[in-house]
Amino acid sequence: MRKALCLISCQTLILTCCAVGAQESPAIPELPTLALDNASPSVRNQIQEAYTDARARAGDAAAIGRLGMVLQTYGLLKEAAVCYRWAGQLAPSTFRWIYYLGVVEAEEGRCEAAASTLRTALHLDPSYVPAQSRLARCLFASADWNGSGELYATITKRHPDNAEAYYGLGRVRAARHDLTGAAEAYSKACALFPDFGSAHYALALVHRALDQVGKAEEQLHLYEKNKDRAPPSGDRLVDEIRALNRSATYQVQIGMELERQGRLEDSVAAHERALEIDSQLVQAHINLIQLYGRLRQFEKAEEHYRAAVSLDPGSAEGYYDYGVLLLSAEKYEQAESAFRKMIEIDPLSSSAHNNLGFLFERQARLPEAVAEYRRAIENKPNNRQAHFNLGRVLVNQQKYQEGIQELEKTIEPEDDDTPRYVYALGAAFARSGDRQTALRYLGKAHDGAVARGQSELVASIERDLHTLEAPGTPR
Amino acid sequence: MSKEWGSAKPSRRRERSYSYRRRDFLGLLSLGLAGRVSTFWSPPVHLPPPVPLFREVAEGVGLKFCHFAGATGEYYMPEIMGAGVALFDYDNDGDLDVYMVQGTMVDPAQDPRKAKFPPPPDWKPGNRLFRNLLSETGKLEFVDITEKAGVGHVGYGMGVAVGDYDNDGFQDLYVTNFGHNVLYHNNGDGTFADVTMHAGVDDPRWSTSAAWVDYDRDGRLDLFVANYLDFTVKGNKRCYASAGERDYCTPKMYQPVPARLFHNRGDGTFEDVTEEAGIGAAIGPGLGVVCADFNGDGWPDIYVANDGAAAHLWINQRNGAFKESSLLSGTAYNAEGAPQAGMGVAAGDFDNDGDEDIFKTNLTNEGCNLYINDGRGNFYDASAEFGLLQPTFPYTGFGTEWFDYDNDGHLDLFIANGAVNRIESLRGSRYPFNQNNQLFRNEGDGRKFREMTGVAGPALALSEVSRGAAFGDVNNDGAIDIVVANNNGPARLLLNQSHSLNHNHWLLVRLEAANRNRFGIGAKIEVRQHGRKLLRRAHTDGSYLSANDVRVHFGLGDDPRIEKLIVYWPDGRREDWERIQADQIVTIRQGTGRNIQGKE
Repeated sequence: MRKALCLISCQTLILTCCAVGAQESPAIPELPTLALDNASPSVRNQIQEAYTDARARAGDAAAIGRLGMVLQTYGLLKEAAVCYRWAGQLAPSTFRWIYYLGVVEAEEGRCEAAASTLRTALHLDPSYVPAQSRLARCLFASADWNGSGELYATITKRHPDNAEAYYGLGRVRAARHDLTGAAEAYSKACALFPDFGSAHYALALVHRALDQVGKAEEQLHLYEKNKDRAPPSGDRLVDEIRALNRSATYQVQIGMELERQGRLEDSVAAHERALEIDSQLVQAHINLIQLYGRLRQFEKAEEHYRAAVSLDPGSAEGYYDYGVLLLSAEKYEQAESAFRKMIEIDPLSSSAHNNLGFLFERQARLPEAVAEYRRAIENKPNNRQAHFNLGRVLVNQQKYQEGIQELEKTIEPEDDDTPRYVYALGAAFARSGDRQTALRYLGKAHDGAVARGQSELVASIERDLHTLEAPGTPR
Repeated sequence: MSKEWGSAKPSRRRERSYSYRRRDFLGLLSLGLAGRVSTFWSPPVHLPPPVPLFREVAEGVGLKFCHFAGATGEYYMPEIMGAGVALFDYDNDGDLDVYMVQGTMVDPAQDPRKAKFPPPPDWKPGNRLFRNLLSETGKLEFVDITEKAGVGHVGYGMGVAVGDYDNDGFQDLYVTNFGHNVLYHNNGDGTFADVTMHAGVDDPRWSTSAAWVDYDRDGRLDLFVANYLDFTVKGNKRCYASAGERDYCTPKMYQPVPARLFHNRGDGTFEDVTEEAGIGAAIGPGLGVVCADFNGDGWPDIYVANDGAAAHLWINQRNGAFKESSLLSGTAYNAEGAPQAGMGVAAGDFDNDGDEDIFKTNLTNEGCNLYINDGRGNFYDASAEFGLLQPTFPYTGFGTEWFDYDNDGHLDLFIANGAVNRIESLRGSRYPFNQNNQLFRNEGDGRKFREMTGVAGPALALSEVSRGAAFGDVNNDGAIDIVVANNNGPARLLLNQSHSLNHNHWLLVRLEAANRNRFGIGAKIEVRQHGRKLLRRAHTDGSYLSANDVRVHFGLGDDPRIEKLIVYWPDGRREDWERIQADQIVTIRQGTGRNIQGKE
């Protein structure tokens, strides 16, 4: 009996090993089929090159993986996943392919699969912090507070300057309703990276939950200033994927980000690169109108305007940006024509009506200016600039009550422009003869400008305050 | 996408205790050969119920409608937005009729026959009204009575809002369009009249969802209209997907246009009070709208889902004005402070703690938001905590609603899904935007929602481009049904069959206010049973571009006893009733209950 049992056990072990062995050598999958007829030529060629290379070197993880990277950069995530899985099987000890698979699974929202894959990747390279962060985020999305919290805590211990990890820790604590702990973690994240928009937002909501409304509003203000800002991910592997993107639209995105950072010349370069890839990309031409305009290269700006409207005669934005360019160059007749063309296409454009109004005002065509400002307001009731312009014109026409009513609509919300608007309101009250109210608003404007370090505005307000407060000044 | 979250009955095997005796060891080994060693310890597979939870019956009951999006290959934005549907009893015969909103060519100069997906041969232009013959014949059957009723507006239809604005006891329709809107007054004799110009409620912009709300509590329904973008055919922009193919633009390519608030003067006309009410202070590309008392002060507030931008929470200041408070309230963005798409919205007390929580649907790769109310109008996004973030991540959600599909007393969720940008896995197919809809069961007591999509039956396996969804008891059997409007596709009627799977009880309440706000829109109803309180709100708004049955449904679980029913009327009065029987449709008339003073 004992002998029979041993025999059965041995046979079972052998069979089990065979079964396990069979599981470790699955069939190599087919390359994904792609329908790219309508893709742009540059993208199609790039994908085709990578595809051809992968077919030629089907046993080479690098070739298959690279195809995956190219597919991923263009959003073909399912197809990219197939390639990464394949590459991972060919080279199971290469961190990169397993990690990329985890990234794609996470981007598709398949957090459980992503978590498993990322764990596998981290066995290969436990030190890659971006992988740890992604895993922690996946665990959080699955409401695994323990797993997520432990991971974030580990990261913060080893990398005490990692703002994102403190933010993540804060989120876990908030999910556990540990508001004090959450506030501590969020505050640390904000201290490490003061422009961390999401962290300021999260901290604001915690303060609000703790009935600390003043602090909440402070944090919301910081959030509004830094909405899109976050600490750099430091994920060089994902950066490599992004760098593969050769599409014109991606270059435009880069250009727009550079413009947001104030790097106008670099932004121009990115947009010009976009046009090298696709000369028909209207948005690139449109963006270049205002970029070159701001760089005072008017001929170039005009060149791109002509290209934009030739490619797309319905390009309202193109007419608008050209109109702004002409307005700044005081070419009023041409600017009027451009704005009117824009309004013909988009009658609801508040900005176009506002600019038209400003143009008429510069030409002393005041009734027309007032009408355009009113249209701008009708289309966008919270258009501060339009209220300000209308208010100014009315005050200049000595219609003080009406003008003040318009200017009163400009003093909220509280932001960097507010001191200027409050100043204007104070000036309107001064002109109307209400010295007391004028002093009140001028004082408020002064304080706001000082708080924001707006020294020129401060100087201007102080001069007016001095005049108003002088003994001989009529009340 | 089904995920089973437990609560299935344990198998008999799991109830036995195991010891590693010799024959068990051999048993384990033999299972190991088959690679199923883990069977003993894995939770049993949750089998689908014997009867599908929902059954799709539209065509079979005469609800034959196919939406025409007018796609031309120019990728005009309205083509991808879809349209809404209303469930309402237009003739007061006790059953729900259906109003479907129709599209057309975005550029009216173009011939529909030249559209990329031409309409079917028997297609009729214009919105359609289907009369339910249930009350007459006892059988669920619909007949198209559009021409007789006079409600077949032809335009690029978007949404519909239902409310009795003139308090004559008949519900009226406000139809939104890409273009001029229409107010149809219900004449009470089976016909409607277009009174838009007289009433002064037109808005020629691109309007989307609208809601009837008595914001000043004067007994007359006012009208809030969300508007979207300044898109024009002439100004159509060219946008591209990542690989460079032409695709629909995102809303960021255009400017948002302001919403409108119209105050009901009580004489059939309205006054545009947008600016005085402060609604113009914040502008967003509005899509979904729901009105509810979010801060518990007895006055209705308005929540607007804005596409790709901060949502708006307009808190009623009780003086005719509103203050936009979404940022501080925590309902503007997701938990990370990022704006999301924001299409469909629903407000309801899903956790039975007496306040209105908000559910919002978003784009693929964003996940939905579940904003939990602390009772004072402060919210936090708990979608991950309640298991709703991950399962909704791969989908673009539109119409949605809190509704108790299985009558257990907990509000569940349905989401109508359909993409707005090409789905890469459908690349090469004719209309690569299909997704299946989703059903989530509220497990109660703070537990995660359980996705029931995979076990709900073939009706939930349909993969279409769903947009509007309206909820109501179409066959008056106590179970809430759903009408789904598909973009460029057929209407679907999902008949709820879950009552045949359990013995749960229900109550359907039709409110009748004294003279004003006749259907009690905005009223809160509380049902008390064995220590628990179920709070629901009379409303027709919410979802996406659609209007729901104004009757208020309660699932009561397995206990039919109702200790008390309390109505908090919109005019501030409170009454209660006892001895209400379960499993019926009951009309509750203001003034017939016991008046309640002070707190209960």
